[in-house]
Amino acid sequence: MSTRRIIPLTPASPPAAPHPPPTATPHPPAPPPLAVYVHYPWCVRKCPYCDFNSHTARAAAPPEAAYLDALEADLQAALPQVWGRRVHSVFLGGGTPSLLSAAGLDRLLTLLRTLLPLDPLAEITLEANPGTVEAARFRDYRAAGVNRLSLGIQSFNDRFLAAIGRIHGGDEARAAVDLALATFDRVNIDLMYALPGQDMAHALVDLRTAIASGAGHLSCYHLTLEPNTPFAHEPPALPDDEVAADMQDAIEAELAAAGFTHYETSAFARTAQQCRHNLNYWTFGDYLGIGPGAHGKLSSHQGIVREMRHKHPEHYLAAAARGDFVHLRHTVGAADLPFEFMMNALRLCDGVPAALFTARTGLPLAAIGEALATARSAGLLDADPATLRPTARGQRFLNDLLQRFLPDS
Amino acid sequence: MQQDTRNFSIIAHIDHGKSTLADRLIHYCGGLSDREMEQQVLDSMDLERERGITIKAQTAALQYKARDGQVYNLNLIDTPGHVDFSYEVSRSLAACEGALLVVDASQGVEAQTVANCYTALDQDVEVVPVLNKIDLPAADPDNARAEIEDVIGVDASNAILCSAKTGLGIEEVLEAIVQRVPAPRGNDDAALKALIIDSWFDNYVGVVMLVRVVDGALRPKDKIRFMSSGAQYLCEQVGVFTPKSVSRDVLAAGSVGFVIAGIKEIDAAKVGDTITLVNRPAAEPLPGFKEIKPQVFAGLYPVESSEYDQLRDSLEKLRLNDASLQFEPEVSQALGFGFRCGFLGLLHMDIVQERLEREFDMDLITTAPTVVYEVVLNDGEVIHVENPAKLPEPGKYQDIREPIITATIFLPQDYVGPVITLCNQKRGVQVDMRYHGRQVQLIYDLPMNEVVMDFFDKLKSVSRGYASLDYEFKEYRSADLVKLDMMVGGEKVDALSVIVHRASAQYRGRELASKLRGLIPRQMFDVAVQAAIGSHIIARETIKALRKNVLAKCYGGDITRKKKLLEKQKEGKKRMKQVGNVEIPQEAFLAVLRVEDGK
Repeated sequence: MSTRRIIPLTPASPPAAPHPPPTATPHPPAPPPLAVYVHYPWCVRKCPYCDFNSHTARAAAPPEAAYLDALEADLQAALPQVWGRRVHSVFLGGGTPSLLSAAGLDRLLTLLRTLLPLDPLAEITLEANPGTVEAARFRDYRAAGVNRLSLGIQSFNDRFLAAIGRIHGGDEARAAVDLALATFDRVNIDLMYALPGQDMAHALVDLRTAIASGAGHLSCYHLTLEPNTPFAHEPPALPDDEVAADMQDAIEAELAAAGFTHYETSAFARTAQQCRHNLNYWTFGDYLGIGPGAHGKLSSHQGIVREMRHKHPEHYLAAAARGDFVHLRHTVGAADLPFEFMMNALRLCDGVPAALFTARTGLPLAAIGEALATARSAGLLDADPATLRPTARGQRFLNDLLQRFLPDS
Repeated sequence: MQQDTRNFSIIAHIDHGKSTLADRLIHYCGGLSDREMEQQVLDSMDLERERGITIKAQTAALQYKARDGQVYNLNLIDTPGHVDFSYEVSRSLAACEGALLVVDASQGVEAQTVANCYTALDQDVEVVPVLNKIDLPAADPDNARAEIEDVIGVDASNAILCSAKTGLGIEEVLEAIVQRVPAPRGNDDAALKALIIDSWFDNYVGVVMLVRVVDGALRPKDKIRFMSSGAQYLCEQVGVFTPKSVSRDVLAAGSVGFVIAGIKEIDAAKVGDTITLVNRPAAEPLPGFKEIKPQVFAGLYPVESSEYDQLRDSLEKLRLNDASLQFEPEVSQALGFGFRCGFLGLLHMDIVQERLEREFDMDLITTAPTVVYEVVLNDGEVIHVENPAKLPEPGKYQDIREPIITATIFLPQDYVGPVITLCNQKRGVQVDMRYHGRQVQLIYDLPMNEVVMDFFDKLKSVSRGYASLDYEFKEYRSADLVKLDMMVGGEKVDALSVIVHRASAQYRGRELASKLRGLIPRQMFDVAVQAAIGSHIIARETIKALRKNVLAKCYGGDITRKKKLLEKQKEGKKRMKQVGNVEIPQEAFLAVLRVEDGK
């Protein structure tokens, strides 16, 4: 497989528009590809490291019908913003969207297909947690249109699963992976390393188990203590930075040997198994986000707009009844666009073509000329002017690289 | 007229109640109404009030109706209370005929008091012992009396017992001033000789001088001359402080008051100089005038390099009132643009630093204080070096001489052992040791550079705060001194260079290197931290490279927090100083330069 990936550049760009005057709101010359994200906010139990918008349902079961009604109204209200634009991927994330009934999921995907021009080959990913897996339900999910499953395995070892508060055990994890692979062509396994008490040998056992399973995509995350999580308040004893970095080196080496391409900071894929939905984020594509707390980014001739739905599920459902969905909406200004673009694009190990910067932001490359030059001379960015690609050091010190694109405060 | 005048000052250790007593005396004599009576009037600066020290000499002219029915003019001349200001103290005392020796009856005599008392006795000032704080349960007047007699050698049998806090014995103090302090014996008809006790800058009238008229008289419209410089000015206004300023027609022989003569630069009115009249000059100036020279130097740098101009303005403003503060621009590779500043001593340096930070809102990095070395070059020329970075390379000079001070330390005998050990560590040579009851007086010759490094803090800690110290310059002496350089990533960090004795270079080098290793954050590459004498590396530490700095997850969700995190990292770097390609945080400089505070 070629290491150069095809980036969905907007076809047939119109003749280069004159650079907008500095006061105008920058926007791409043509709208970028569009994806849809749907947030399912409930979990059986909230994990102590998790800072996503997830909630333990108060009632015996989450209010599925009300949730789907609200999503429908949310999508209807958002349609004018994306009118006529083809949707290339759908991602159902959470929370634990595999708590949704098969019928509920079917209703949701039917809704999307009805209201939006969903590409027949669109990637439709569902996140699932091993503790919530049933064989029959997986088949029904597939029948409803899900063609990619992302499993929150994290570890195959009971001890470390317990240490990070997961509800499933190692056996359930293995069973879930087998079932997922038996049902779906494309499966991702989320793994975490540098877990409390974990050493190199443990981390490699988990990794080898995942590789041996046959899954085509692996996301390997360094466990991070996020603010406002129980782990941040009472940090567990974690492997030190040296050990964690050694684990990362070993993980990358093993995966390369097993035929995986390291294509993003934490993402590894066999041939043609990359996550198209996530690639759309990292190439600064557009996405409509619906559901509680979902974020969206939409380009138009009026600029690039970021929006966020009401966050708390109960609040979202209540507001939806009034036809009110969006909590925050703002247009990204020229000063912030370079950083926002780079923050995504430079996560890709191969970076992006330099021309994508203007295609996605509407800003001339000269707007970041100085930052590019210093990043290149610092050895963080590849010297090839036709690409925006982090060097090996740039990948390891991505934060230092990205800081160069922050607006001056 | 002179028969009704008494000029006196108060000698006391910090916290022994000088300011409280002064306030009591002013209050008693009606110098201020109750309403105007702010606590501790004479210590007007906040800083002084907090530290309980007096930086500038101030004065109060009091009217006291004595028991003999007569009204006396009592001039209280306040004296600075710290070792750095001994010259100012000597000038204040030179303006007096008497001094109250205030001793805390519960604590006894301290080194500072002794030194100032000797200065007073040397100038034939009548010393009146006063035992303060006798209201305290721990007060032991007999012991304190015995100590005064034993240590200082003045008769304390008729010491006055008082409590400035409660007001007890205040009248006795005032009576003693009238009866025991001699009246001034100036010659009204002689040519004018007025001693400058202090001078300061006032925004409205320019320089104000506090003077003691020794002989002759001074009136507005007189043409005056400063005898050290020959500069001439027109006297515009004279008056006294009650402590409010009140204009007078004349300052006659024996009196103390202020003079305003349209002077813009405080340098023109040097403490200890003699003022005379142009028409009828005195033949000789009053004795004891000295040009004061800074003894301790340090680099002051703004934390934000953009605040350089503000720092210069602030230093200039401070200098308006502080002729002993010197500064000139200096450039450090590591710290950028700043100033090399000269101070009278460590306390003076602390005060300037604190005033800059507090009154002028400056964030500062201060390099390690250093003394002035005499360096004899190969061709025999002698240069003065007050900045380690300016020391010539080894081989280009034949000798370095360092200033030696004679330190007098008073301490309870329980702590003699550790204090002697400390003095020996600091290359001290014992000159004398005497027991005075429970107190011990140690006299040591010490290299001044060891004293400015961390001696005060260590002395305090080994004596649990009971030791008191006074010192005076003795001489320059040859010593085996070397310049110790610190290098980070192979680049010399000029701001961290120090001149140390060869015997302690290795230890200091190791200590600094290991300290820096702990303070400099890991970078994208290994960083060597080295200590060197010339080209000879004597210590090395390695800061292992950081392995990575990257966020594990970033999808289409909320980017604001990730952005904030990176903004914070970037902001942190902004405050770092670049040495070669290594980023060193300000805190590292601050922590290293704050030599051994924690110990």
